[in-house]
This record gives sequence, structure tokens and C-alpha cells, in this order.
Amino acid sequence: MGTAYNSITFNQAKCDGCGDCMRACAQAKAGSEDLIHARIQILAREDAPVELAMCRQCGDPKCVSNCPAGALNKNPESGVIDWDANKCVNCLLCTVGCAYGGITFDAAVGHVSKCDGCDGDPACVKVCPTGALEYSTAGSLYRRISEREDLFVPGLSACQGCNSELLIRHTLRNVGSNVVVATPPGCIPGMGTVGYNGRTGTKVPVFHPLLTNTASMLAGLKKQYNRLGRDVTMLALAGDGGVGDVGFQSLSGAAERNEQQLFLCVDNEGYMNTGMQSSGSTPAGSWTSTTPVGEAMQGKRTDAKNMAKIMMMHNCEYVATASLAFMDDYYEKLDKALEASRRGFAYLHVYAPCPTGWRFPASDTIEVCRKQVETNFVTLWDFTPEQGLRFTRSVERPAPISVYLKQIGKYKHLDQAQVDHLQRRVEDQVRSLQAFTHMSAAG
Amino acid sequence: MTAIETAIDPRYQSRSLVCDGNEAAAWGVALARPDVIAVYPITPQSSLVEYVSQFVAEGIIDAELMNVEGEHSVLSALQGAALAGARTYTATCGPGLAFMFEPYIRTPGLRLPLVANLVTRDTLTPQCVWGGHQDAMLVKEAGWIQMYCETVQEVLDTTVMAYRIGEHPQVMLPVNVNSDGNYLSYGVTGIEVPPPVLVDAFLGERNINWHAALDPERPMAVDPLTGGAGGPGPGLFVGYRQGQCDAMQKALDIIEETHRDWGDRIGRHYAPLVEEYRLEDADYALVTIGSMTGAAKDAVDAARDRGEAVGLIKVKTFRPFPVKAMARALSKVRAIGVVDRSVAFGWNAGPLYQETLAALHSTERFLPAASFIGGLAGADITVDDFSGVIQDTARLLQGHRFDGPRWINRND
Repeated sequence: MGTAYNSITFNQAKCDGCGDCMRACAQAKAGSEDLIHARIQILAREDAPVELAMCRQCGDPKCVSNCPAGALNKNPESGVIDWDANKCVNCLLCTVGCAYGGITFDAAVGHVSKCDGCDGDPACVKVCPTGALEYSTAGSLYRRISEREDLFVPGLSACQGCNSELLIRHTLRNVGSNVVVATPPGCIPGMGTVGYNGRTGTKVPVFHPLLTNTASMLAGLKKQYNRLGRDVTMLALAGDGGVGDVGFQSLSGAAERNEQQLFLCVDNEGYMNTGMQSSGSTPAGSWTSTTPVGEAMQGKRTDAKNMAKIMMMHNCEYVATASLAFMDDYYEKLDKALEASRRGFAYLHVYAPCPTGWRFPASDTIEVCRKQVETNFVTLWDFTPEQGLRFTRSVERPAPISVYLKQIGKYKHLDQAQVDHLQRRVEDQVRSLQAFTHMSAAG
Repeated sequence: MTAIETAIDPRYQSRSLVCDGNEAAAWGVALARPDVIAVYPITPQSSLVEYVSQFVAEGIIDAELMNVEGEHSVLSALQGAALAGARTYTATCGPGLAFMFEPYIRTPGLRLPLVANLVTRDTLTPQCVWGGHQDAMLVKEAGWIQMYCETVQEVLDTTVMAYRIGEHPQVMLPVNVNSDGNYLSYGVTGIEVPPPVLVDAFLGERNINWHAALDPERPMAVDPLTGGAGGPGPGLFVGYRQGQCDAMQKALDIIEETHRDWGDRIGRHYAPLVEEYRLEDADYALVTIGSMTGAAKDAVDAARDRGEAVGLIKVKTFRPFPVKAMARALSKVRAIGVVDRSVAFGWNAGPLYQETLAALHSTERFLPAASFIGGLAGADITVDDFSGVIQDTARLLQGHRFDGPRWINRND
């Protein structure tokens, strides 16, 4: 992984042009109410999208290359373009180089000014009422994780654009090598993690359980390691079939017994490895190879079950949902889940859009992940018995479900009634989960 | 330790007690000192796992006890535990064994020396909670070693021996110790529990996962996909399969050696593979398996008193099938009547009958034979029933042939 930095992100669609960010910036940087000092500028017009003028902290910054005095430099630690007043000769060539209006001449102080990121705690983000501005810490996470060994071998044979491969590599880097990894039949062993013909694809102990018994096998392993006085992490990387269909009994039993393991469901909404058949996790309306589209049947006739909610009802030590479009959220949950798995059962449900099986371009995987969340098709939350359910990302102001569905081939046949059904389903699910924010599942 | 100390130290004492076969099995488990036990109840095994659980509660057994949600997870958890190096225990039967089937058939291929008592039960349907060998016979091709016990004492002794047999480095296979539901599970008799230290010495050091482990200190992939017709070739798979078959054959020697050593150390001797009873001057013989053998021996004794030249061949080890030992026994008689407690669907006979005839082939002799099926659904095969079997078998010597099996207990 290359160098990555934390950054302020802007979602144009969410911005209503209120200007709170500018006021906060002017106050923070100049102690002034005059918006001329704001290093973030929002231009809101009646009949056009909101525009943002602000430093992007570019990787190949033209302001820096234009500067004849060496006054502008990209900070290798923070990624911020630092401006040095002592070297600046006020030539303004930097403002000419920047295409984003990110560095401008401030007449009131007599020199250029630009966003300095507020040392990683930007004032503008904190006051944004709509969530249009966010501070993404994924960059520092990527850097931290890049310093750890990738415990899968290079060259796993996952499909192009596979969300699951990305997920398992990130996960195992973070979990480390003192682990036993279980990958029941599905895409994850299919891509070669357990290996073929006596060779392995993983640098730590790994095995195929049956599709049905992952949690039970890990439970037995853990019992013996406890008996031996050794602290070894038990990690399951299982597909939705091995979790919610045939794998459910052993999973439920292990959760009831509060077995010490981290059970990760990689939900690609069906049996993608064996040819895209339907599972209990497949949403209504989906085309799959066993819920085809024809005159008598237009995709899956019943709704998916919400496995994360079902696991919450087991009152596990920790339950959370995650999406790879929100890595900082995922890493926070992974850390918590790992810690919880020392005490008992921890369950992570990660939504894993599949370009091959769902029919969307391999380059769009993360965007599809993001749209799942932005439409509330997927909600990000976590649960502990003490705190109950907590949304880790706002479920207010979702985009309509059609924004998500239109990207994906398996939904292209949907009629309006099917789209409306999915929209209602999304709203019902959110309402149902919101009820749990007021009470613990055990209650 | 001096002889006096030995005499007062309870670890050196054998204990006499009166109990049923399920409790006897539990004492065998206690003596084997498993690390991880997983249980799920099912009639007629239930009291066995209750005894084991009680022993854990009382500290008689120092093991991790897992109360899991079904037999499928029972065996799965124990596979995991064994891959971390644990000696394990469970017991099941009938529908429980059927539900366990998926991990059950995988255990021998993983070469995990798990020990599981089968308190045998007839299979559904018709609905039935009673004894019979149909459950164990249905899984005879799965690759587990299977030994059938005749007495309550033998249940205890064989449960201990099963660990040494399965864990032998040249075997490394799972073992079923089979005891007849109803007759051995609930039949009460006096038994002797051998001194723990003698059993410890008999079993020696455990080494369960030297060949395949899930251990961060010895990282490896357990059971990666092997090549098939479409890959680099099925050779690796064939090699593993052949290894299982070789280990099964090797187990015949190890079962004999283990029974011999048990007899030397503990003082109780059993025919490890095939028992020959009053066979030396016999014209014909019964072939039996399991607890029915006691009544059969009584019937043979009574027939001998009447002057009938009849003997008995009892099979203890059914998997691996002791072909040579069986052929040796068969070579001593001129006709056989084989009594099964289960059926072989499609053969209109019992499975023991089939296997006996298959072993007969190696003698290059023909023997007239008849299949008797009795003891289904927990029915009692009485001494009188066996007297009838003896009479029918004697008719074979006069040239009579039966069309199909003789059904015992049909009118009970």
C-alpha cells in the first residue's frame, strides 16, 4: 500500500450552502467573523450545484512546483501542504497553479493563505450540520496497516474488483499472526486462502471447516488453547451461506455459549463462489441463478434476513455492521470486536458487493459499497449488551434506494413496485433498528 | 513408592461397583483423562453423558465440558479441539449419529483419533427409541474403527483401549465403541474399575495432532483442496485415501496388541477381533455380534449338552473387518447361521451375514449359510430363539437351503 493521508471530504449532494464551515474557519484561523479569512469557501447559487473552493492537499501539488522560494512543501507525515511565511516572496504563482481555489491571496493580511487541516481536527467539519464535510481518517489507518505484514500470500485468485479479498487482507493484517483462521467453503477459500494440492495461501494456521460447522470447530480449538493456557485468537471468515443458512445452527449455539471467537460474515448476498445462487441473505427482487427472471418469476420473491440483527438478539459481547467504503469505521469496529472476542462471542457483518455476481464494473466496488450506506440499504451500527445499539453513521437524509439499485445488473429488471417494496423495506429496517437504540437487546 | 504406600494409595486400587453399561463407559472415559468432552443427549445414550457430566462436576474428570446445541456441533467442536492437541470424548446413536454424519465422515480423513461410544439404536422410521445395530451399520463404510462389546465390563475396558488404538501413530483413526442400546446401556452388573495408575501407564503420553495441527507455533493449512480430474490430477487424493485404508489394515495388529497388553496389565482378556467359542470339534456354528452373544453361548452350551456339535463365532471388531481371523474360524465348520441385529437393505439379509460371506471367499471354500435377523427395536433374542437358530443351521448340513432371512421376534 502506498502513502495515504487523512483528509477532509466534501459531499456536494449533502451541502445546503449554509456557510457554517466558513464562519468556523474564519473564527479558528483569524479570530474574525469576516468570511474573507475563511480558508474554505462555499459558493451556493440558485440553479447550480454548490461549489467548494479549498485546498485538496494534492499528491502532486502545482502550488509547490510553481513556488520559486521553497515556501510551500508537502508534509510527509500529515500530507498537508505547509506554507512558510518566512520564505514566501508574495509572487502569487502558487495561486495561478492551483485549479481548486485552494490557495488565495488574503488582502487583509497581505499574503496567501490556505487550509492547514487544523492539525487533524478541522473546525469546519465539526460544525457542518448536514454531514457534507467529513474528516476521513482512512489514510492514517492505511499507513498504520501497511506497516504490518500481509498474512495472505500474493496472487490469491479472487475476481477483479473483489471486495472480499480487500477485506480479508486488511482484517488479517490487523488481527496478526497469533490466530487460527477458519474459512468455510465459499469465495474466500475458493480464491486460494487454504490452498491447493498441499500448498497454502495463508501464512497463519488456516483450515476449511464444513459449510455448517465453523463456529463449533473454532469453539473446540479455543477450549483446548484455554486449557493449555495459551491466548490464541479464533477468526472465522465466512460467507453469508455459512453464516445464515446451513451455518446458522452452529453459529447460534456458539453465540449462546459466548464462545471466545471473532466471527466475520462476508455478505455478498448469495452463493457467489458456486455460480451466484440465492441465499437467505439475497434481497427481494435480486436476479440470481436460482431466482432467475422470466415471465412467471422476476427474481427473488422474499426478503433477506437481517443476520446482524439476529446476532444482536443473541446478546453477544459485540455485534457490528461494516462497509469497506468506510474503512475508519471498520477498523474501529474490528479493534473492538477483537477485544470483545477475548471475553466472548463477537460478530462482524461486512457487506461485500460482488462485481462478478451482481453485475457491475469491477472498478465500482467501493462506490457500490458507499451507495449501500448512503441509501440506508446498509446501516452502520454496533452493539454491546451494556450500551445497546449505536448508529456509527447517520441514517438521516438517505438517498432514494433507486440511486443504489441502478448501478447493479442484478436489479435491472425491477419494476416500480419492486423498487417501492425495497424502499419500504429499507425504511422498516431503519425504524426497527432505531428502536434498539433506546433499549438493549437483552431487555 | 513402597508396597504399603501402593496399597493405601487410591490411585493403585481397583474398585468394584455395580452399574449399567452407560456408567461403565463413563468410568472408562474418566480413566482415559480426556481434555475436551462435548455432549448432546439422545436415548439410549443420555445417561452416559449425564454420568460423564456429573464426573466433570465432581472433579472426577478434569476436562472442558461443552454442552453444545446438537451432535453435528459435538463432533465439529471435538475435531477443532483435537487439531489443537486435545484427547476428546463423546457418545451418540441413532438420529443423533445421522445428524452427526457430515463431520463424522470427515473425521477419518483428517486422521483424528476421536473416541465416540455408540449406544446403538434402531433407525427411524418406523419411530423407535430402542436398541438395534442399524445406526452403526449404516456408517460402517465411513472409515471409523468399530468394535462391538458383549458385556458391561467390556464396555469400560474397550472404551479405554479405544484411545490407545486410535492414537497409535500407525493408525490415527477415530474409534467407535459400540454397546447395545437397552441391553448394555441399562443392563446392570458388577464390574471392576481398574487402578488409574495402571491405565495411565497403559495409555502413555498422548500425541493427538503431530500430523495436522491448527497452531500458530506450527502454522499450516489443514485440508487444502486436492487436485481432481480437472486440476493437476487426483494423485494426492488417492494417496490420502490409500493411507486411510492402510491404517485400517494396520489397526488389526494394533487392536490385537492392545487387547493383549490390556490383559497383561489389567488381567482381563478379550478376543480382540473374532472370538471362537466351542469351535474346535464343531460341525457348524452361529456367528454373532454384540450383547446377544451371551444368550447365544448359553444356547450353544445347552445344545452341546444334547450332543449337538455346534460352536459360535463372535465378531468384536467389525471395522476393520478381520478377514483372516474370520476365515480361520470359518475353516473349522461346515455350515453357519449368522445372526444380525440390523438389515442390509437390498440384500435381503443382515450386514454381518454379507461380511461373513465375503470373508469366506478368502478360504476358497463354500459353506452353506443362513441369515437370521433379530433383536430389532430392542427385542430380546432369547436362549430359546437361539435354540431355534441352532436347529435351522443344523438343517443346512442336511442340504436344506433358506430363501431369504429368518426373522426372529416377528411374532413377539
